[in-house]
Amino acid sequence: MKYMLLLFEPDTDWLSVPKEKLEAELDAHGEFCRYLEERGITFSGAALRPSTTATTLRPDGEQMIVTDGPYVELKENLGGYYIIDVADLDEALEIAKRCPVSAGIEVRPTWDTSG
Amino acid sequence: MTSHPGEDVAAALIDAHRRGWARVLASVARVTRDLDAAEDATQEAFAAALDAWRRDGVPATPVAWLTTVARRKALDVIRREETLSRKLPMLIVPEDDHTPAPSDDIDDDRLRLIFLCCHPALGLAARVALTLRLVCGLTTAEIAHLFLVNERTMAARITRAKKKIRAAGIPYRVPAEHELADRLPSVLTVVALVFTEGHTASHGDSLRRPTRVRLATELAAALLELMPEEPEVLGLLATIRLAEGRAHGRLSENGSLALLREQDRSTWDLGAINEGRALAEQAMRRSAHRGPGPYAIHAAIAALHSEALSYDATDWPQILALYNLLLSIQPSPVTRLARAMARSMVEGPAAALTEVELLEEDRELSAYNGLAAARADLLHRLGRQAEAAVAYERAASLTNNEVERLFLTDRAHAMRDRNSL
Repeated sequence: MKYMLLLFEPDTDWLSVPKEKLEAELDAHGEFCRYLEERGITFSGAALRPSTTATTLRPDGEQMIVTDGPYVELKENLGGYYIIDVADLDEALEIAKRCPVSAGIEVRPTWDTSG
Repeated sequence: MTSHPGEDVAAALIDAHRRGWARVLASVARVTRDLDAAEDATQEAFAAALDAWRRDGVPATPVAWLTTVARRKALDVIRREETLSRKLPMLIVPEDDHTPAPSDDIDDDRLRLIFLCCHPALGLAARVALTLRLVCGLTTAEIAHLFLVNERTMAARITRAKKKIRAAGIPYRVPAEHELADRLPSVLTVVALVFTEGHTASHGDSLRRPTRVRLATELAAALLELMPEEPEVLGLLATIRLAEGRAHGRLSENGSLALLREQDRSTWDLGAINEGRALAEQAMRRSAHRGPGPYAIHAAIAALHSEALSYDATDWPQILALYNLLLSIQPSPVTRLARAMARSMVEGPAAALTEVELLEEDRELSAYNGLAAARADLLHRLGRQAEAAVAYERAASLTNNEVERLFLTDRAHAMRDRNSL
């Protein structure tokens, strides 16, 4: 089954944090990716730019209204995600525990639309 | 096999339901990988048993009979829906290509079901409801009654939990050893809740529900077989056995509630108490290296109560020390209340009353009859009978258990009588 790990954290401007902090963060994720590879788990993912860079579209009758900002304003925002392919929720949770995170991780199964 | 009169068949069926429901269901779920289908088939097998056993007699191994019939029924359904079942994302069952014979030493199927129902990815209320439904075989109506919600709400809650199990891919297996520590608290909570409800029913005409107590005992014993070294499991089973050992003393001859202070200790079941004390001792000894957990501490407190020759001869300072320890690792208003009452036995009722009155500001406790009853007891011991009467009346108004309510009302009357003298 495929699960999405949604990584929530306070918005961080990674362009202006000290170099060591950025490197530590990248190393942590690099290590996590190596861990996934070692376990033979298929995965994908991406880091997201801060929520201040988000633009939201909302339907309004026939039109779409485009507004600045994320869909929901939160203290912690979606900062990145992984999609992993594992056997079951227990394995997904075990892996999520190894994932670098600051505020919290939401684990969600994806729909299987492959037929 | 001989023909049996109707009552024998009914009794055999009830017994098979109690001992075998979870085993039959778990065994079928392994085949169907679908809890709803497994439940349907299990229910059908129990219904079929009534006719078949009346006609042919009760089989030598009723649970095995039920398992065979339920599996056959489930397989029939699967065959009918062959193409559909291929596409359904069902429960994940590893190593399901063989069907192991039901084992008698470790009730593996039942444990699987417990860990499935008590998965931390489900909400606590859903965990308890699912355990009662799937492991204990209670009807949705019974569970709804237990939780004081209507049947439709409970049915929706159970359906939602089952859907999450399937959609989120919660696996159907006993967790690996390294996962057990994480999972255990959730399972212990559920078993303890089943026991608490059996020990003092939250509503109804009788103080206890022995079938719930038996279920909790069996579940705790099954856990202990899985984790014989785990102090918290030992602690929970010890607490249950100790409470059971004293159960007879809780009702006086006329059927009214007797407090620990007034109980006739000769009515206690020494076998259960000795067993509980031994388990409690093991729990404390095994937890020495990392410090005891809440269940081990509860067991130690229950053991001290059980081994005292009289209420006054109880080792109250030791009990107070254990409550202090409990409070430091698991602070809760109910523990604070219990600690205050132990303190009243060491330092007198006045000091404890101040503490209890502070607890009344806690919103979580304001509707708890135990708080009003504790306050009433302290006021009574301080000679403030009129105030004690009011507090007993309040406690009576807060319980839905008829035996408890009668007891508290009687106390209120007694306080008023004493006051008028």
